[in-house]
Amino acid sequence: MRKVLYYLPLFAFLALALFLLSGLFSDPRERDSASLNKALPEFALADVMQPDKIWTPSELKGETYLLNVWGTWCPTCNAELGYLTELRQQGVKIVGLYYELPRDPAFDAPFILAELQKDVQQKLQQQGDPYQFNMLDIDRSLSLDLGVSGAPETFIVDADGIIRAHHIGDINPLVWRSKLAPIYQEWRKP
Amino acid sequence: MIVEAGQLALTFAFALSLLLSTVPLYGSFTANQRLLLLAKPLAFGLFIFSAVAMAALIYAFCTSDFTVINVAQNSSSTLPWYYQITASFGSHEGSMLLWVLMLCGWTALVAQFSKALPLLLQGRILGILGLISAGFIAFSLFMSNPFARSLPFYPVEGRDLNPLLQDFGMIMHPPTLYMGYVGFAVAFAFAIAALMGGRFDSVWARWVRPWALAAWLFLTLGIMLGSWWAYNELGWGGWWFWDPVENASFMPWLAGTALIHSLAVTEKRGTFKSWTVLLALSAFALSLVGAFLVRSGVLVSVHSFATDPGRGLYLLAFLLVVIGGSLLLYGSRMNSVRSQARYQLFSREMLLWGNNIFLLTACLIVFLGTLFPLFHKELGLGSISIGEPFFNQMFYYLTIPFALLLGLGPWVRWKQQQVMPLIRPLAMVAVAALIVSLGVLASMQSVQANLALLGMLLGAWVGISALAEVMLRLRQFGSISKGITKLNASHYGMTLAHIGFAVLVIGVAMTKTYTTERDVRMQQGDVATVADYEFTLTEVYELNGPNYGGQAAELDVRKDGQFVTHLHAEKRFYRIQRTIMTESAVHARLSRDLYVSLGEELPGDAWALRIHVKPFVRWIWLGGVLMALGALLALCDKRYRRKQTQREPGAEHA
Amino acid sequence: MSRLACLLILLFSVNALCQEVLSFDTDAQRQLYQDLTAELRCPQCQNQNIADSNAVVAVDMRQKTYQLIREGQDRQQVVDYMINRYGDFVHYLPPVNRYTLWLWLLPLLMLLALFATGVYRRSRQTSALETPEVNTSAVELDQLIARYRSKKP
Repeated sequence: MRKVLYYLPLFAFLALALFLLSGLFSDPRERDSASLNKALPEFALADVMQPDKIWTPSELKGETYLLNVWGTWCPTCNAELGYLTELRQQGVKIVGLYYELPRDPAFDAPFILAELQKDVQQKLQQQGDPYQFNMLDIDRSLSLDLGVSGAPETFIVDADGIIRAHHIGDINPLVWRSKLAPIYQEWRKP
Repeated sequence: MIVEAGQLALTFAFALSLLLSTVPLYGSFTANQRLLLLAKPLAFGLFIFSAVAMAALIYAFCTSDFTVINVAQNSSSTLPWYYQITASFGSHEGSMLLWVLMLCGWTALVAQFSKALPLLLQGRILGILGLISAGFIAFSLFMSNPFARSLPFYPVEGRDLNPLLQDFGMIMHPPTLYMGYVGFAVAFAFAIAALMGGRFDSVWARWVRPWALAAWLFLTLGIMLGSWWAYNELGWGGWWFWDPVENASFMPWLAGTALIHSLAVTEKRGTFKSWTVLLALSAFALSLVGAFLVRSGVLVSVHSFATDPGRGLYLLAFLLVVIGGSLLLYGSRMNSVRSQARYQLFSREMLLWGNNIFLLTACLIVFLGTLFPLFHKELGLGSISIGEPFFNQMFYYLTIPFALLLGLGPWVRWKQQQVMPLIRPLAMVAVAALIVSLGVLASMQSVQANLALLGMLLGAWVGISALAEVMLRLRQFGSISKGITKLNASHYGMTLAHIGFAVLVIGVAMTKTYTTERDVRMQQGDVATVADYEFTLTEVYELNGPNYGGQAAELDVRKDGQFVTHLHAEKRFYRIQRTIMTESAVHARLSRDLYVSLGEELPGDAWALRIHVKPFVRWIWLGGVLMALGALLALCDKRYRRKQTQREPGAEHA
Repeated sequence: MSRLACLLILLFSVNALCQEVLSFDTDAQRQLYQDLTAELRCPQCQNQNIADSNAVVAVDMRQKTYQLIREGQDRQQVVDYMINRYGDFVHYLPPVNRYTLWLWLLPLLMLLALFATGVYRRSRQTSALETPEVNTSAVELDQLIARYRSKKP
């Protein structure tokens, strides 16, 4: 017994090494989402292109879709537009949630909807337009409720308006095939 | 050319370290004196070549040789020359080379100052240090070469040094910190050498003590400088963030503190042997684990280096060899060692054991707080965060019994202490502590039952007790003036370090309780009153520095109508790295800091400013300095010095 | 009491000449805001609380914290609000459950175990009275070391 006691530090260290080894192969910044399997929070957001049109969660029910958080200011978002457009052509419904940045009154011009519309249109013409429509989250309130920490992020929402996946970062063929497509297929069936 | 010379020197250093890690060790097992004698020159050669390598890297930075990837990524031609020097250890690659240089420096020091050691032991210690050096030099050479060139395509201008690192604190902090981290390698090597030979006694403990003290001295200073740097440079007015990188330096410090106390028991009483050896191994093991955490990217931290899984794997393998190997040796050898000394329950031995228990528990708390999120996630339980609230809570409960014990410790004798003779002096100390803390608090703020009162009481108890104990000791020599030269330097060192701890506790408690922080919106001419001080914003203007632009704010501070000081806060925009940095304005006094950082511009020609008045925040670093000074004083103790009569006769003629 | 309160308000309040960036009804609310923004973690940053970070999401979370405090919500309500959206990750103090309990339990257990070891070892030593007392005084140690030195290899 006494002998084993002196090996205790070694065992403790080996256990630690095991954790450190597995830690090396996982991304420390990846974290689980708190929004999974919850209903989409309440919101009433204007359409980017037709500001009179107000979208609410009930209008989005009925079909499984991707909710993609993006902005023209975000290079990673612009980079994934092309692949998302391919997905749209394969029949995936994608709704855009436009993540508008806060404006510094000292340096930035005030917000003008017409300019944003021009920006968005231009970007979508250049890179491809994956979106059925875009909702404008001007004060990022829906984003906060969804637990969005930045752009791009993507949710899979099922026909009943329940969030089934939350992906932080861009969508590329690898991520789609290995992580998101199976979930999308699973919830699309009924 | 110079860069290639550096690369070559590092390669030579690698070869020498391989020789150093094999030849003397082989000699020690075959009792070959000539091989053992080789250890010393090899160690000196190792140091010289690693110093040449570092010098070549510094040369590359100072000449802005952007064909070297490391230089191009971490320096620029507009960077002031002193930051170009520090940029040479601002990156992962450069800091690794600095680490290697420090390690070889310690090795050379051991070679120089170990004449008194038996040759066998000397050879083994240097051999172990050579082995560790070999591991790190190989890592530097093969996994993160600081001299790698990007020819034929190279940039005309570098990417500049991270603005956070462009600060005086950054010149001093890494070398000191690394001296401390790596310094524990010496105690580690002593422990392994003794484990190989199976001999532990008071003599061994006396040999290790100065080395452990020296490493602890540097680590204390390094951590303190890091905290001071963060306070000045990050602009949030905080001095400790419980970030994994800070914790990585705090863990070996706690284990090292336990080690220097445990070594005292082993030296004086020949007991606690297996425990002391374990601490000597742990202090360095924790340094290595810390290096792994900072450089592998397993944890998310503000300060960590750019990461690469290959490096992480190499370091983990290295940890397995060094730590795993040493703990295996420990397990197999240590169970035959027996301690013989006897002591009563109330004795200095037991109190020092108490000290070790609390320090080790603190170490476990920091360890868990740092790594538990990783365990939690790897077990598939999801992501959690552990930070300030957890550590504050745990350290609050741990510090109270620790400080009470610390005030008692120096009074208690070895072997056995009667309770009765201590009651009177300690009661007087307690009363004095109560009077002092209530008096101080009443004179500056209102006395309330809060953290400040608790911290004051504990600090005064520890500080006054340490002072009173020294006075009593001195009086035992006849009179204080007679005794003052007779008492050991290490006793003064201990007293000073304990007072340092008291000062630190008071500083933390007072700052935590009485800091006033305000975010205000000011136009030119506006006055903000924070905790009795009136801050007037006199001017805001454009800045134009060598590699940055931005704004500067000038403030006048008055108290009760009296002019106190002028403050100059900057908000810099570093052009190459495109980052914004706050250069806070700090007016420091022993009793309080005034701390102003300039925020963003607000509509209507106004600026956001963050103003702090932080009472006693200086005491935190003062406490660290006192602790380090205490260690320095203890190092001067004459029993660690070689007797001059031992000098070889040939030395004078050389 | 009220005089003391007045004095304290005088001591700590900000002069009316300039506004605070965020105004609060009470000092308790301001303190709560400062505490909460220090212990909520910015989900996008490396390892920063929302008070120290200027990431968009940190700014939004600060604003939300401010708004909730102004609405009169207490500490737990604000923390729950954030955890509901961003998960346990967002709070620097993990919730206590049967896994995280070890965070508090392990240090306590180690403290007790080491204490018990110390007492146990000591008690065994006194029972084995036959072992000769080894007391290396400073003088003896010096002699011992001198002897090692004289033994030239």
